[in-house]
Amino acid sequence: MRENKFRIKLLRWFLHLPATYPVMRPFLDLLNLKENPAFRIWVQFLLDIMRQAYAHKRPVIWMNSFVPSEMAYGMGAIPFFPELMASLTSYMGWSHRPIAKADSRLSTDLCSFYRCALGLALEGFLPKPDLILSSSHLCDGANKLFHYFSKTYKCPHLMLDPPYHESSSSHQYMKEQIKETVENACHLLHLPIHRERFSSAINLSNQARQYMVKINGLRRSIPSPFPGSEGLSYLAGMNFYSIGSPWAIQFYQSLYHFIQNRVSKQKGYLPREKFRLLWLHHVRPYYKNEIFHILNEREAAVSFEESNYLYWPSLDPYKPYESLTHKILSNVWAGPIERRVKAIEEMVQNYSIDGVIHFSHWGCRQSCGGAAVIGEWLKEKNIPYLILPGDCTDPNNYSQGQTRTRLEAFIEMME
Amino acid sequence: MNPILDFKKIIHEEKRRTSNLQEGPVIGWTCTYLPLEILEGAGISPWRILPETSSDKGDAYLDPNFCPFIKASLGKALEGGYSFLSGIIILNSCDGMRRLYDAWRFYCHPSFSYFLDLPRMVTPSSIAFFRDGLKDLIKQIEDHFRLKISEDGLINAIEGANTTRTYLKRLFSLQGRGDPPLMQSDILEIVSEGWKNPRRVFNKSLNIFLQGLETYPPTHLEGPRVMITGSLMEGSALIHLIEELGGQVVSSELCVGNRIIDQIVLDSDPLGSLSKAYLEKTSCARMYDTEQRIGHLKQELERTQAQGLIYFSLKFCDPYLYEAPAIEETLRQMGMPMLFIEGEYTGKMGGGIRTRVQAFLEVLERDARK
Repeated sequence: MRENKFRIKLLRWFLHLPATYPVMRPFLDLLNLKENPAFRIWVQFLLDIMRQAYAHKRPVIWMNSFVPSEMAYGMGAIPFFPELMASLTSYMGWSHRPIAKADSRLSTDLCSFYRCALGLALEGFLPKPDLILSSSHLCDGANKLFHYFSKTYKCPHLMLDPPYHESSSSHQYMKEQIKETVENACHLLHLPIHRERFSSAINLSNQARQYMVKINGLRRSIPSPFPGSEGLSYLAGMNFYSIGSPWAIQFYQSLYHFIQNRVSKQKGYLPREKFRLLWLHHVRPYYKNEIFHILNEREAAVSFEESNYLYWPSLDPYKPYESLTHKILSNVWAGPIERRVKAIEEMVQNYSIDGVIHFSHWGCRQSCGGAAVIGEWLKEKNIPYLILPGDCTDPNNYSQGQTRTRLEAFIEMME
Repeated sequence: MNPILDFKKIIHEEKRRTSNLQEGPVIGWTCTYLPLEILEGAGISPWRILPETSSDKGDAYLDPNFCPFIKASLGKALEGGYSFLSGIIILNSCDGMRRLYDAWRFYCHPSFSYFLDLPRMVTPSSIAFFRDGLKDLIKQIEDHFRLKISEDGLINAIEGANTTRTYLKRLFSLQGRGDPPLMQSDILEIVSEGWKNPRRVFNKSLNIFLQGLETYPPTHLEGPRVMITGSLMEGSALIHLIEELGGQVVSSELCVGNRIIDQIVLDSDPLGSLSKAYLEKTSCARMYDTEQRIGHLKQELERTQAQGLIYFSLKFCDPYLYEAPAIEETLRQMGMPMLFIEGEYTGKMGGGIRTRVQAFLEVLERDARK
């Protein structure tokens, strides 16, 4: 027990030491030498974000995944994402402890990303925030949990509350909220509001978007050039957290060249591709699991994933608040289910999809609540559909046997 | 003398006398942030969707990790339990309601359905935005039902609802005054009659009932004074249980309880008055400002001299489940005991909950003796 406590203390000290990250970088670069260059940029991005957040040279804003990251970059603050830390912890196989820690305060029926993030915060592993900013669309939990974080760290909490419908009234309301939030945040953090910096973040966002359009276009190729398992991990990660920063350009450019090279050689990520699948939901399990291994074995490629569907239009750098309003309100996972179904219909066509898997992450009401209606639509189109229940960060909610049985039955159905 | 039976008799008699008055369409609603005055101003009867028991039918259409109230509502609709409704209005209260709106439209095909956006913050711009939503709701109702909602009609409806609020405030004030002639469970049963009966009938009956209350013998309760807060719950089973175990429920800070607007102050813009009053009412956990809720709970605990708080959340109800630690922490700092209960929407309290409530009441009793 004493040894365990010592290890935790050591890990906490190690994480909070800004020198950790520049020291780790060459080692990780070497370790990832065989990975594609975009993956290496992702790792470097993470190290940089963590170094800055723990060094705390500028104000740190904790944000949930659905706050446009352009806001933090535009304000000149350091964004930090507790959900990202939860998925990384799970990826390392360490999520048991923080989840158990949080379970003394939160129900086990709540999202494990949030439970894990709370556990990490309670253990003192996360960098101290100066401000907490959450957005309420897609996730009811964000408002309350992020408020609890603000109580825990004794710092202010601001919230964006995007409306459900798209209308002139909701655009006006959202725009006012963004403007007020930026002004309040800058005031609280003693940051001057630089319009140029905001425009620059929007410009960078647009440049990243251009590459994303090209990447998504390339991913229509048969065979599938890029694995969905990676699309759901670091690609989705960069999509959530890097947009508006120079890292995003570097990353997407590199990934574009990597995929382009594969497409030009007609090289798929599987030796042989029998089926093309679409993965629904933003996320996948990050701890060690067999899901993609089973699919690979059965020559079923995850050709595309919902999390990388590009829903927002090109933004206007001279109108940053309007632009971010458009970005938030065009989110297909918000609003009526028809928007999501329409996007799925487009993805099924564009990526020549043979079957669809809806990964139902335990605790995610937004996504799981629509799974049955989506299934009805797919049934009408005669597209095989599997609702795969599971959990992204809590391995205790993963049943290896049941998952294998469901996936194999699904593949057999397609055969 | 049984006050509930007496109230039901009065309401039955009033309904019989005025049975020819209510012939208009009936619209189902799910959240108390909906200004019912709009429907009443149009001559439409609002009907609160509050299924009595859970139904398995909803399970096939909504995920297992989903709010049991929402599944029960969909289940009842699928079984035809709401076939008498001319339409539904669902509010953007939570993720669950958003998905209920999708599923209800997809599987039950209501002839009229409307999803009303509901801000989480209370600011001048959110009040204006909610007002725009109410205006659009009026337009959709007028177009669909081919009727006109006049300003006079709306003002009359607001005045009628204000009368209900006055009576309900009086009813709730009977709790916590020492010798309540009514138990909290009685009060909640009376309140629930308001969701199934025409406003005029309910107001008249409540007025008659309140006038006759002095003839009831006081109920002498001496047990620990408990306040209850939390999410929606089916019926008043938990409150009955607390009372059965000897506790006094002195306040029910619930959307099926005393979260009632004081009075709507009418100005030259009745829609604006409605928007402001509804957004500013005693808030549900789905609203942004947790600190405001904590402040209100503290005030209510003090006002009612409660000795402890029971916090109830339906399973899978994110706003309440995520809010609970903040409330618990505040109460711990105040030295106020709190019992957290996570339950199903069954209207029954199982043995586990019974034991926990009993133990909680014992703790409160022991603390009071110290």
